[in-house]
Amino acid sequence: MNNDNIMLKISGLKVSIDDREILTGVNLEVRPGEVHAIMGPNGSGKSTLSAVLAGNENFKVTEGEVLFEGEDLLKLSPEERSWAGVFLGFQYPIEIPGVTNVNFIKTAINEHRKRKGLPELSAAQFLKLMRERMAYVDMDSSFTSRGVNVGFSGGEKKRNEIFHMAMLEPKLAILDETDSGLDVDALRIVASGINRLKTPQNATIVITHYQRLLDYIVPDYIHVIYKGSIIKSAGRELAREIEQRGYDWLIN
Amino acid sequence: MKQNYIYAPNLTSEFKCKVPLQGTRQLFIVNGRVQGGRSPFSLRLEEGEAMEEILQIISVRHKSYKEELSTQQDFHFGKGSVGRIIQCSHTFSPDRFVTTEKVTITVEKDASAEFCIMQNEHNNAEHNTLYEANLAEGASLNMVFLSLHGGIIRNEIVVNLNGSHAQCDLAGLYLTDSRQLMDNNIHLNHLVPYCTSSQLFKGILDDEGVARFYGLIKVAPDAQKTEAYQANHNLLISDKAKAHTKPQLEIYADDVKCSHGATMGRLNEDELFYMRTRGIPAAEARILQQKAFAHEVLEKISNTQLRERMLILVERRLRGEFSHCKNCTNNCC
Repeated sequence: MNNDNIMLKISGLKVSIDDREILTGVNLEVRPGEVHAIMGPNGSGKSTLSAVLAGNENFKVTEGEVLFEGEDLLKLSPEERSWAGVFLGFQYPIEIPGVTNVNFIKTAINEHRKRKGLPELSAAQFLKLMRERMAYVDMDSSFTSRGVNVGFSGGEKKRNEIFHMAMLEPKLAILDETDSGLDVDALRIVASGINRLKTPQNATIVITHYQRLLDYIVPDYIHVIYKGSIIKSAGRELAREIEQRGYDWLIN
Repeated sequence: MKQNYIYAPNLTSEFKCKVPLQGTRQLFIVNGRVQGGRSPFSLRLEEGEAMEEILQIISVRHKSYKEELSTQQDFHFGKGSVGRIIQCSHTFSPDRFVTTEKVTITVEKDASAEFCIMQNEHNNAEHNTLYEANLAEGASLNMVFLSLHGGIIRNEIVVNLNGSHAQCDLAGLYLTDSRQLMDNNIHLNHLVPYCTSSQLFKGILDDEGVARFYGLIKVAPDAQKTEAYQANHNLLISDKAKAHTKPQLEIYADDVKCSHGATMGRLNEDELFYMRTRGIPAAEARILQQKAFAHEVLEKISNTQLRERMLILVERRLRGEFSHCKNCTNNCC
């Protein structure tokens, strides 16, 4: 393996909330073009890992380091991480009444462009891009004028997450239980949106409880996290085994 | 209509509202004196008359008169008439102006009146207003109060629903910072059956700003089938900002629908984090949240052009700028 080409390198990461240690030493390396799945029973620390990578300040990193393209990710604010190319798809997307989806994503896009030294998109350019990316997840234009996630169904919220991802074109997308609460049709739409965004340059970490999502998004690696650390890493065949045998055989 | 107002765009060299709203006529009142008309100002709509244009009344305190000032404005909307009014009050210098203003509003049977009140004054100014409105059967009165800036702003609003099926909708947005005080004191009197009223007042309080809300809904013994709602929500941005709220219901009838709710809160941290993960910087995200909070009140402004301007003014205000409209060289809207 080529060490120089590591996009994300997590080493010995320990994380606490209210003096309770949730991550007890996580190690993970992700390279461009890869899809990693993180699985594990409830309460094992999956969502905590995604929250910490996105910069949620409720969690305290007590040990270890996270390098993103060789830079210390943990010293960056959530917005700086976003500008650097890290995206978190929320398990429970937040509703923001009064802020329309279009204004929200336009503000976000232009903030990103500002950091890249690019001018703001014109109204026409923005509209064109938005229409194109909404089509990735089968969203119609009525979503744009509504408050961010306000009154959206579970499936619509998840599609909106992938729409945000499609607009921001992150290098590393961390998708936290994007499959939860989705019926089969919505799951297929969301997964095809994610697959469409895949390039040899970007990487994806999908966090999931079920093997189901991995029928649609085929991972290169599967990691099982339990009690705050990764206890097993293997190829995609591991998902099938977990579906058949559960987690018990890995834990014991 | 009594034409005691004129359009006077170039009143003094320092006082130009270059781009009036479309379909709007402007009237200027400087230190209580109506420019080009009789003082105190009064407007009377005859039976069935519909005002074609919105009347924007711009009241200014100018340093040429620094004494305490008492003024009055009277509005009479005759049977079935329709009128829309914008009232703006400004101070043109940071002098210690004290203004006491009384506004009477009579809305006759089936008439409909709409007021948008914009208060944007300096920190040394004190502005006390009393609105007294009387509504006859089937009359409708909608008022939006935007208290954007000012040392002390006190609005006392008394509405008497005197005829059945009268309707009154009050909304207000108050923004305080430094040591500003904004006070809304509302008496909504349901005196007869089948009337509806609603109140929505929201405040964003920063620094050591203080807001007080007192809202009384009084339902008389015979005023059955009354529907009256009241809400007051306060967003505290700093640790030292204060909001006092006192919702009051006095109900003497037994077949009514009434509700009131009051809240104090901070900016939602989950929303903030969500926006930041999308690359919206924290400071910008907070402005977005505050705009979203204010949105519900601004939505009540029916004139879209005015609403757009008010949105801009509110945003600039939230960014800590004294609210200059980009259309003007001065502080009027």
